[in-house]
Amino acid sequence: MSTAKFRTLEREQRFQNPPKDKSAYPMLYEAIEPHIGSFNALTEGAHGGLLNLAVKDIGAKTIFDSTSTDRLGNKLMIKVDSVEIGKPSIPTNDKLSLNSNTLPYECRERMISYRSKLRLKVTWSVNDGEEMSEIRDCGLLPVMLRSSRCHLQNLSPDELVKHKEESDEFGGYFIVNGIEKLIRMLIVQRRNHPMALIRPSFASRGNSYTKYGIQIRCVRPDQTSQTNVLHYLSDGNVTFRFSWKKNEYLVPVQMILKALMETSDREIFDGIIGTDLSNSFLTDRLELLLRTYNKSYNLYSNQETLAYLGDKFRVVFDGTPDMSDIEVGKLVLKRIVLVHLDSNQDKFRMLLFMIRKLYSLVAGDCCPDNPDATQHQEVLLGGFLYGMIVKEKIEEYLNNFKLQVSSDLNRGLKVNFHERKYISRVFQRINENIGQKLQYFLSTGNLVSQSGLDLQQVSGYTVVAEKINFHRFISHFRMVHRGSFFAELKTTTVRKLLPESWGFLCPVHTPDGSPCGLLNHLAHKCKITTKQSDVSGVPGALSQLGISSVNSFAAGPGVCCVQLDGKILGWTSHEKAKIVADTLRYWKIEGSHNIPLDLEVGYVPPSNKGQYPGLYLFGGHARMVRPVKYLPLGKTDIVGPFEQVYMNIAVTPEEITNNIHSHVEFSPTNILSILANLTPFSDFNQSPRNMYQCQMGKQTMGTPGVGLVHRSDNKLYRLQSGQTPIVKANLYDDYGMDNFPNGTNAVVAVISYTGYDMDDAMIINKSADERGFGYGTVYKVEKVDLGMSRRRGDPITQHIGFGDDDWPEIWQNKLDADGLPQIGVKVEEGDPIIAYFDDTLGKTKVKTYHSSEPAYIEEVKLLADDTNSECQQLSIKYRITRQPLIGDKFSSRHGQKGVCSRKWPQTDMPFSETGIQPDVIINPHAFPSRMTIGMFVESLAGKAGALHGMAHDATPWKFSESDTPADYFGDQLLAAGYNYHGNEPMYSGVTGEELRADIYIGVVYYQRLRHMVNDKFQVRSTGPVNSLTMQPVKGRKRSGGIRVGEMERDALIGHGTAFLLQDRLLNCSDYTHTSLCKDCGSLLTTQASVPRIGSMSSIRCRSCSKKLESFSNEFINESDIWEDGQGKKFVGGENTTTVAIPFVLKYLDSELAAMGIKLKYNVQPR
Amino acid sequence: MSSPQREGFTAPSSISHAAQGYVASKSLGVKYYCAQCGSSFSLNKSDAIRCKDCGHRVIYKARTRKMVQFEAR
Repeated sequence: MSTAKFRTLEREQRFQNPPKDKSAYPMLYEAIEPHIGSFNALTEGAHGGLLNLAVKDIGAKTIFDSTSTDRLGNKLMIKVDSVEIGKPSIPTNDKLSLNSNTLPYECRERMISYRSKLRLKVTWSVNDGEEMSEIRDCGLLPVMLRSSRCHLQNLSPDELVKHKEESDEFGGYFIVNGIEKLIRMLIVQRRNHPMALIRPSFASRGNSYTKYGIQIRCVRPDQTSQTNVLHYLSDGNVTFRFSWKKNEYLVPVQMILKALMETSDREIFDGIIGTDLSNSFLTDRLELLLRTYNKSYNLYSNQETLAYLGDKFRVVFDGTPDMSDIEVGKLVLKRIVLVHLDSNQDKFRMLLFMIRKLYSLVAGDCCPDNPDATQHQEVLLGGFLYGMIVKEKIEEYLNNFKLQVSSDLNRGLKVNFHERKYISRVFQRINENIGQKLQYFLSTGNLVSQSGLDLQQVSGYTVVAEKINFHRFISHFRMVHRGSFFAELKTTTVRKLLPESWGFLCPVHTPDGSPCGLLNHLAHKCKITTKQSDVSGVPGALSQLGISSVNSFAAGPGVCCVQLDGKILGWTSHEKAKIVADTLRYWKIEGSHNIPLDLEVGYVPPSNKGQYPGLYLFGGHARMVRPVKYLPLGKTDIVGPFEQVYMNIAVTPEEITNNIHSHVEFSPTNILSILANLTPFSDFNQSPRNMYQCQMGKQTMGTPGVGLVHRSDNKLYRLQSGQTPIVKANLYDDYGMDNFPNGTNAVVAVISYTGYDMDDAMIINKSADERGFGYGTVYKVEKVDLGMSRRRGDPITQHIGFGDDDWPEIWQNKLDADGLPQIGVKVEEGDPIIAYFDDTLGKTKVKTYHSSEPAYIEEVKLLADDTNSECQQLSIKYRITRQPLIGDKFSSRHGQKGVCSRKWPQTDMPFSETGIQPDVIINPHAFPSRMTIGMFVESLAGKAGALHGMAHDATPWKFSESDTPADYFGDQLLAAGYNYHGNEPMYSGVTGEELRADIYIGVVYYQRLRHMVNDKFQVRSTGPVNSLTMQPVKGRKRSGGIRVGEMERDALIGHGTAFLLQDRLLNCSDYTHTSLCKDCGSLLTTQASVPRIGSMSSIRCRSCSKKLESFSNEFINESDIWEDGQGKKFVGGENTTTVAIPFVLKYLDSELAAMGIKLKYNVQPR
Repeated sequence: MSSPQREGFTAPSSISHAAQGYVASKSLGVKYYCAQCGSSFSLNKSDAIRCKDCGHRVIYKARTRKMVQFEAR
């Protein structure tokens, strides 16, 4: 049993002198490496990074300058030659600043974006002549912190502190308008591996389509992907499906095969069937496949097929007039078919393999692959997605150039490709701001794309990296989402926890509720590759191991196909393949034969109707990998989810069995995420409780950071009295959690004491509260921008500060002479927070503080804008004190949350024989049904630790049945003179009598959750009402009411409380007196008459009265005449009365009247 | 010369203060300090928000010298 250490001195020294070389917490940096690695891959690595590969893939756009149809005219070929991203710097027109670098903290404070220049080198040539080039500025592109484009890259903690960052700022996110945003990781299909699928929706593609299909997600070197699907038709045919620019296309697979290579039916037949000539299921279908195609298309040669394809796809693929049909056909193959492969020969072979797999699936010889299993998944990383969007925007940019030229042509403007000036003019007239589009993507998470980027969703790609506390912040970077498409799915199969995800996705750390199982977190040792491994030595090693060549006469599941990243390298027998796989693994761990360590050796053995067999090697990007110990060499192996399924990895060394296990886990805790690992003794808890703790850890009022002075988050929570837990897993220190304490050690007694601890309520010792237990602060930032209403270029009319006119002296109690609040002053609702002089009104005005909660002015920051004018923008940070109140939420680290119900005076709290009084009292009823034994163990360990002055390791799976924590900590308690079991006799604080039972009392780490009554309470007697219905408005912010809805109404009816019901639904809502005509029974026709001399105003019914003009001959008594507001005179209609109704009835009546329906109320006195 | 402006001279863009007749260099007695270099200085009403030393664009207001007193309860 290893014990944990407090490491107080080390920590204090590190706080005083941050390390000057490297961080003390390398694991933190490893945790976010996928984000930074993927972003760095955009600009670094082979061929100048992914972006430069992307522009190569886009290629050149061809434009002709002729308006007539009979000739083409001059030919302009324009392309982007290279992409360059700078580092964030101040605008070039800024001559005042000494430091020309823009640093992240400045962006956070000024609420701007951390971005740098994106430059494209555009080259063009006219009529294939000399190449000309120009470097174009394409706006400012947001860049990732601590990436290679960031000023913070590779800075030591000491330097980071000097740059006003956290000492262990690890980056991985973007700053957009002052908000920290990150692109979340997304689960996608494993690349370059054909997956057998059975989907009922496949059958709805068209006539004779079946549910069988083979899907492959091919990824180009620039990380953009293209999905190809083979569909099985009920007549034995196979169709190739792809989507291009959000449209789907279906092509017979033989056409693709024949277009790829000059081939014969015989070759196709052999390539699919191999030696299985006796398999009549196969031969029948293949015969049909080849015959029907030949009959219906009559395309035999490679050139014919290409020309046919080119002709059909010319429009879709933007074939320029100078391209022949064959060239367009080749373009289609290059852009669409198995794009991860270069040569057509390889594509052809892979396609044959896929067809065979499809037939095997249909025949039932192999099972469908599970797309929800981690085995067939990889992670789409933020940086790669970012690069994909940049690529698409660059292509759009070139297309816009083309469109601009053609619009010039159509409008008859002079188009001269030879003139540099003309080209520059075209550039100026198209939208060049690519950076702006990426900023939009980051700030909204919406993907605006023509192609859809082969992804299933259009929104929800980015999230705010909230800094509520460090747990939440770090979790954002380890979060992987299944995709919002699956969130709407009715079936729950995608949400299931599958054994395949062992060690890659944490089984504990997923939220409960709607995102359950879709939003997972990576296990803490799981890494994601961001580079292509060097697999150049693999083919050599394979041939050394006796793999027969690709050209060999082999096909089908009877022989073992060897593939590397979706390319067929050769064939071998199944018996040999096992040896090959084992040898490869030995070599790669040994480090010999130039085989990379992270190569995934996925050997799928032959089985009875199991997964399609073969030897699949992977060394590409975006794979999940994790370290395990390889037993034969005792060295670290890096395994992936594809191979893991067929490997035997022992969880503990004791478990290792001869001739079965090849690997052993370094630690069983490797399967848990960072947060799940921090739950003490989580192996003693019921599993949902650990899930709740992962959620609550993220909602804790903790320490978001220490550089809060240089942040301007809208809202920050801070715990003033954070402590290091006495009971903590050793990983707690490895991840540097002590830099951001999240709670307080509290003496907890499990006792039903006052009656105020019923139903998950907890009692806090009043004196503990006064000593600062759980004391917190909320920081809110308000940005004031006086220039908001002003248009660009208009003169400034509102000047911060007091004017020369007369203004209330009382303003000066809160404001300084500069019109800004005094730092440290207390403000309450309605107090002035800024004074400004308005030129147009000639008056000094103030903006006031709008919150019922008093606050203190913590900081006032004056923010410059890009123009060098006087101050218009500033941010004010308020400090709101939040001492624990009745109704605030607290929790231990075991999913045991509770609400503070009383602050009990210390004098009345129970005390133990040593005089200890608990800080917190919880009810014993919280335990039996929840079975959080881990909390008891923590209490025990905390008590033992506190008594002996030591920290205790709470890593799960350290104890066993023979070595129980109760014994281990019980002995320690005994040694300190306490009861072995943690119980103690206690005495009532009120009477001083000994309690009849011994009380379980110990030390538990308590978290204060951010849900506080002050943010939640909602009361109202009277208040604002909706003007249409006269009913109370809703919403706490508008001081509205809480709706008594249908179900609440049902409950009141059920109780027979009619008066209560009437009170809620009428009297406290829209109770109104209104007049009603007893004659016609209408609510709407009554009105008040104009009072006249000698008579009061009375209520008359207009429809029951007659106009005075109609009585031309009769005598009318003057007192019977009444007048409406327009001076019209009437007689009669006096039979009205006043009734009490809900006001909405009047509204309903008018709405019905508008439809020609009259409501008549028969009222009579009772 | 027909040009209304001499070379090298640009008329101040905002002459409203001069027209209104008050002196622009009125220090208000409030101290500010730079977010980047930490130097302390005072600002005039119409000054641009720039550190006087390093030209940084974020400026903090210093804590008030007036007595701030609360009832501690």
